[in-house]
Amino acid sequence: MQIEKFSYDNKIVRNFGIATLVWGITGMTVGLLAAIQLFWPFMNFETQYTTFGRIRPIHTNGVIFAFVGNAIFMSVYYSMQRLLKARMYSDFLSKVHFWGWQSIIVASIITLAMGFTSSHEYAEMEWPIDIAVVVVWVIFGINMFGTIIKRRERHMYVAIWFYIATFVTVAVLYIVNSVQLPVSGWKSYYIYAGVQDALVQWWYGHNAVAFFLTTPFLGMMYYFLPKMANRPIYSYKLSILHFWSLIFIYIWAGPHHLLYTALPEWVQNLGVVFSIMLIAPSWGGMINGLLTLRGAWDKVRSEPMLKFMVVALTCYGMATFEGPMLALKQVNAIAHFTDWIVAHVHVGALGWNGFMVFGILYWLIPRIYNTTLYSKKLSSIHFWLGTLGILFYAIPLYWAAVVQGLMWKEFTPEGTLKYGNFLTTVLQILPMYMMRAVGGALYLSGVIIMAFNLVKTMKQGKLIANEYAEAMSLEPTIVKERGIHRRLERKPVLFMVLALIAILIGGMVEMMPTFMISSNVPTIASVKPYTPLEIQGRDIYIREGCMGCHTQMIRPFRSETARYGEYSKAGEYVYDYTYLWGSKRTGPDLHRIGQKYPNKWHYDHMLDPTITSPGSIMPAYPWLLTQDLDYASTPGKIRALTILGVPYTTDYADKSIEEARRQADLIVKDLEANQVKTDSDKEIIALIAYLQRLGTDIKVNADTK
Amino acid sequence: MFKQITNLNGDERYLIFSLLMFLAFFIIVGIMLFRMKKDYAEQMSQMPLEEDNEINKMDTENL
Repeated sequence: MQIEKFSYDNKIVRNFGIATLVWGITGMTVGLLAAIQLFWPFMNFETQYTTFGRIRPIHTNGVIFAFVGNAIFMSVYYSMQRLLKARMYSDFLSKVHFWGWQSIIVASIITLAMGFTSSHEYAEMEWPIDIAVVVVWVIFGINMFGTIIKRRERHMYVAIWFYIATFVTVAVLYIVNSVQLPVSGWKSYYIYAGVQDALVQWWYGHNAVAFFLTTPFLGMMYYFLPKMANRPIYSYKLSILHFWSLIFIYIWAGPHHLLYTALPEWVQNLGVVFSIMLIAPSWGGMINGLLTLRGAWDKVRSEPMLKFMVVALTCYGMATFEGPMLALKQVNAIAHFTDWIVAHVHVGALGWNGFMVFGILYWLIPRIYNTTLYSKKLSSIHFWLGTLGILFYAIPLYWAAVVQGLMWKEFTPEGTLKYGNFLTTVLQILPMYMMRAVGGALYLSGVIIMAFNLVKTMKQGKLIANEYAEAMSLEPTIVKERGIHRRLERKPVLFMVLALIAILIGGMVEMMPTFMISSNVPTIASVKPYTPLEIQGRDIYIREGCMGCHTQMIRPFRSETARYGEYSKAGEYVYDYTYLWGSKRTGPDLHRIGQKYPNKWHYDHMLDPTITSPGSIMPAYPWLLTQDLDYASTPGKIRALTILGVPYTTDYADKSIEEARRQADLIVKDLEANQVKTDSDKEIIALIAYLQRLGTDIKVNADTK
Repeated sequence: MFKQITNLNGDERYLIFSLLMFLAFFIIVGIMLFRMKKDYAEQMSQMPLEEDNEINKMDTENL
């Protein structure tokens, strides 16, 4: 064995750190704008590019993939080099990874603002960007595994296992969730429809939280918390137990997002049971983190970065207890589709993810610049602003959720809905929305102070771009080690394969029967494919992000059937490429909106929602009345849907434009009869056609095969 | 609460199969932990604290 001299690449760590700051401020600013629009709709400046439906995915993807994503890469590149005693495998791949990821973020912001969206939550980007994400992710994986292979440390520390699990699972989730059939450069249809699409989406959506917002952060906690506290982790054995339990159980819990929907009941129940079980490994991680601070609590008083870590772990504990409680059907019946879910997500995102990133940045930036933090006082101010921000954000939303959830379900003694007008329940919670925005503003102002503090820190120091290090070279193992896990900890590829098997089991048990056993999705004879004009209208609905505020899923509750009509059946969605059930009701459910109002009502409502619903917070969509519909794209869309299995006749695509125009003319004629002058080329006509079709198939003839 | 997972018209098999699978998985991990030497666990938990020294603070350009 001989001592080898090498260096750590700190420049790439710094670059990801700066990107974290820039995208953090950007993503949160967009989030604040969206929050303000919910009580001042005119804050969308009446342009389509800044309207709520389009900026919401910019905020969610911006915060998840741009802010948190860059923070993950910063932390992984810093900790992995040191834990493995090796420089990153390739500086070139590091650079390609960095610039590739930033390009994806910029492309996503532009395309989402333009309305190019696939509609799957947290994966809205269209297919060219999906391909770029997979390519850059694979580059990251090659760089990571290359570093692991050339390491000078025989055993992989627990943080590395979490990074490996993150890499392999995110790859599987993203690819499966993004299988689409392109129609044009920026338009595609998922290959899944209705119930199956919903299951895939929430298998992905829930596990994006698990494997992008949780596992890498647990890895980061296991490295940075001992460094900050100067204490080893409380229990290495507990870390093993909670690692394997967490990755095994998490993947099963996705269906709890679809309780009381048309998803087969056995899948829903699997989701509930595994969600409850998830408390144990989640709290195992939290307890291991908090107990790491034993004997170091005095430091928490004086070190703001440790304060951030303690609040982060506390929020993790709260969110991972709250999640399983929300998965209980009785709780879910009230809380789902309300702001409770938004509050729950933000306790995790602002507290667990945000605060841990801030703690790491305060610890890491001074180190790679070989200096001290510019101002501890400013970081302390940031801590209190952030903590207040979380409280001001979450508490009003919990309040709003309970108020609205109960108002939706309240009946008069005569047996009618007490608040039959949905808008009444929205107006009641507007003060809470305002307080939420105050919370967001407090949190964002703290982040801006942090950015100032860190820039000053960078200026007073000098980046150690290539940090000197030395370590013994790694000799081949001759003696067989006794412990099974000990042997596993030096075999990264086997480790990855086992982690892959652990996560695949849950996904396969839930998805394969739903896809392969036809009785799971009973078909309904009266449900027919959409007409060409309705397809175009549906794509406009998707483009404008209507599913961000409106659901299309009536649950089998008296309070919902009395408000919206017959509850939704799995067979009604078999031609829905993609499903549009939504996850939040800022506005009412739309699954039975078809034929409920005249065409003119929809026309006026899109021009200015307050014409038909005084006090409405829905944005106006005046551009739909002036923009021309792209009729030429219709045959391509029909052909794509035919390939996916929609039973159109063979020549239907060729006559689809003619068919669409015929239907559009009927709507225009009806509007003209009601004193509205427009023409069949306008986008509003297609949207009206789609809305008037919604949920009407089984009203006519409910014949279940 | 338990009605949710008992009256499933025959679909209980999915739940039972899934839970048994997790139980088997959990037992395997438990056995591995039971067999793990204490000194190895301690050595591994010290890993993040090992690398701090003054020489690390230097840029290779200054050497």
